[in-house]
Amino acid sequence: MSSQASHESKSKSDLKISDQALVCHESKLRGDITIGPNTIVHPRATIIAEAGPIIIGASNIIEEQAYIINRLRPGADPSIVQVMEIGSNNVFEVDCVFESSMMGNQNVLEVKSHVGPGVEISDGCIIGAGCKLNGNERLPEKSVIYGSDCARRIAMDKPPHPSLQIDYLTKILVKYHHLKKPRSAN
Amino acid sequence: MALMFQSDVVQYVCTCGQLKPISLMYFCRHCLKLRCGYCVCHEVDSHYCSNCLEILPSAEARLKKHRCQTCFDCPNCLNTLAVRATTVSVRDPDDPNKVNSLKKYYHSCFFCRWTTRDVGLPDQAVQTVSANGWSQKGESNIQRINVLLEYVRLLGMQERHEREQREKKFTPRSRRTFTHHPGLTAAHVRKRAGLPPELPAPSTIRDNLAEFQPAVAKEEVASLPESIFTEELDIDQVTTLTQRLAQPETQPESIVDLIPSCKHLCTKRSQRCRGCEHNVSKPDLNPSSIKFKIQHAASFHVPEVRLVSVQPLIGSKECEIVIVFSNPSQQPTTISFITLEEAEAEAQEHTEVTPDTSVPQGEAPPSLSSLTRSPPVMEEPRPVSIAVTGDVNLPTADVEIVLAPKDDAAEYDDSSDTQQFHDDPQIVVHRRANKASLRLTVIPHADKAGQNCTIGFGFRYTYINRISTPASASFEPQKVQLSSRTFLNCGKIKESQ
Ligand SMILES: [Zn+2]
Ligand SMILES: [Zn+2]
Ligand SMILES: [Zn+2]
Ligand SMILES: [Zn+2]
Ligand SMILES: [Zn+2]
Repeated sequence: MSSQASHESKSKSDLKISDQALVCHESKLRGDITIGPNTIVHPRATIIAEAGPIIIGASNIIEEQAYIINRLRPGADPSIVQVMEIGSNNVFEVDCVFESSMMGNQNVLEVKSHVGPGVEISDGCIIGAGCKLNGNERLPEKSVIYGSDCARRIAMDKPPHPSLQIDYLTKILVKYHHLKKPRSAN
Repeated sequence: MALMFQSDVVQYVCTCGQLKPISLMYFCRHCLKLRCGYCVCHEVDSHYCSNCLEILPSAEARLKKHRCQTCFDCPNCLNTLAVRATTVSVRDPDDPNKVNSLKKYYHSCFFCRWTTRDVGLPDQAVQTVSANGWSQKGESNIQRINVLLEYVRLLGMQERHEREQREKKFTPRSRRTFTHHPGLTAAHVRKRAGLPPELPAPSTIRDNLAEFQPAVAKEEVASLPESIFTEELDIDQVTTLTQRLAQPETQPESIVDLIPSCKHLCTKRSQRCRGCEHNVSKPDLNPSSIKFKIQHAASFHVPEVRLVSVQPLIGSKECEIVIVFSNPSQQPTTISFITLEEAEAEAQEHTEVTPDTSVPQGEAPPSLSSLTRSPPVMEEPRPVSIAVTGDVNLPTADVEIVLAPKDDAAEYDDSSDTQQFHDDPQIVVHRRANKASLRLTVIPHADKAGQNCTIGFGFRYTYINRISTPASASFEPQKVQLSSRTFLNCGKIKESQ
């Protein structure tokens, strides 16, 4: 992987899609983005690498209207490259917004949830539907944020693996959508 | 809905004196009066579970403490728990080499992801667990709660007894003679009359009450556990007050003691007019149906007023507002304006007349219910408690505005048919289908700058009464003139220059 690609050149050549990944053509990808194997990007999902590259791991589902942005922080030095890393087996549900620079594995951002730039997400967390996180913190493992007051608890188990859903989507999405051609990261 | 009917902008005066948006009011077709939630009798029609939609008769519901026995609420966030199935492999007891797979069920919350496994409740072999499947851990308040419930029940009985004693003196003769009807036992009559069953003797109630042990305040309280001083408190492990009070039997302090509680039942209620005891709203009995058998919402009968536009409101300056009247009924209606005082006087007059018209004397066959139910409650309407902060110049009472009947198809019809109305263009600015926009001038009070400009007016409207009374054998719809009072909140008054 050529990680030296400067973020200023936002040409499409910065897009690196793994062979096994499934990225729908109608999705909007801007900037230096790496998408790992078995990750599914639905149509109308948006991923924008503004302040630096976005590296997305394996087996993630990024649903319609999901918005992942590596935003240039106001007042930050634009010459410093800030990398956004997203692990594996995460689910970004419809219309969620993810602005943080760090996400571990097996997390779920439910519908219309919002994770602000200062919130690091570890592993197995669930951000409930409509919950907004805007502070500066690192969520402990298996945190569950739920309800209108964004109440918290620590769950016993991590959320289920999205593999079944990925298997289904890999079969069904290709039938109805054009895909972005995979361009292996070499 | 709230926005659609501008709930805090236009308010109608209910017969009882409450101010309510029209969307929250009923209209009694018998007394021809507005009714709100405060001046109707609410009756519980049925108990049902909102999750499994099972209907329970009210006696059974009371026996089960108004809870569904098969559905559960999450003890953590109080939403409904869902049943999840898993397969577990169990070694065959007869053949140690064979592994059987077994279906097991547990409950899980879709909102906060709480599961019965979190607190170590074993998975169940059947899909529907009874509440007893999860035993109460440790000490429980259930005994004491039952004693208290019994005590309150006895108190209620005693109160009812006293009330009945008092009422006995005033019971109309018809009811008393009826109880001596041959072939009917007293209990039977009570039941058919919708009255609660006969009370035990007052002496027994008093004896039982005397047995009750009141709570005793203790000088010494149990000391705090040692761990509270030595171990760091993890606030995530402590239950919130809401969680604790949702389980009054145990009131757990730690989240590991939370157990699912049976889901509370919901009720379907019907609303009865207080004046004439006719239903103004009655839901369909079927819990899965959202329809009504009877639904006399005020917005189906009374012309609706909406505020369309307001010019800047400046103290003691004339400014224009545009309001729109819409006719919800299938017949044309005529509207004319009256002042608040006139409307109030009319409303009072109406109140005095109705008792005679709504309950025709002697004509109706003396049904059991009308004999035994308590007589209609007649109350003095309370004065309206709203300060008017602006004057409105109303068209004179002889200006009549005819509203076309509501026609559902007219929405798709673009042809305008305004010619048939002879309107004063100074007042009626626009017409469309069953609606008419009117221009009024408002003069906000100069000393109320910064406050909301509230104006009030009354209006008369014609209403076609389609209710036949048993008294009038030859029935035909009657045209009656009704009046209503409304208050409009037009927005902030600006300082006058
Ligand atoms: Zn009535
Ligand atoms: Zn009322
Ligand atoms: Zn139920
Ligand atoms: Zn829950
Ligand atoms: Zn009536």
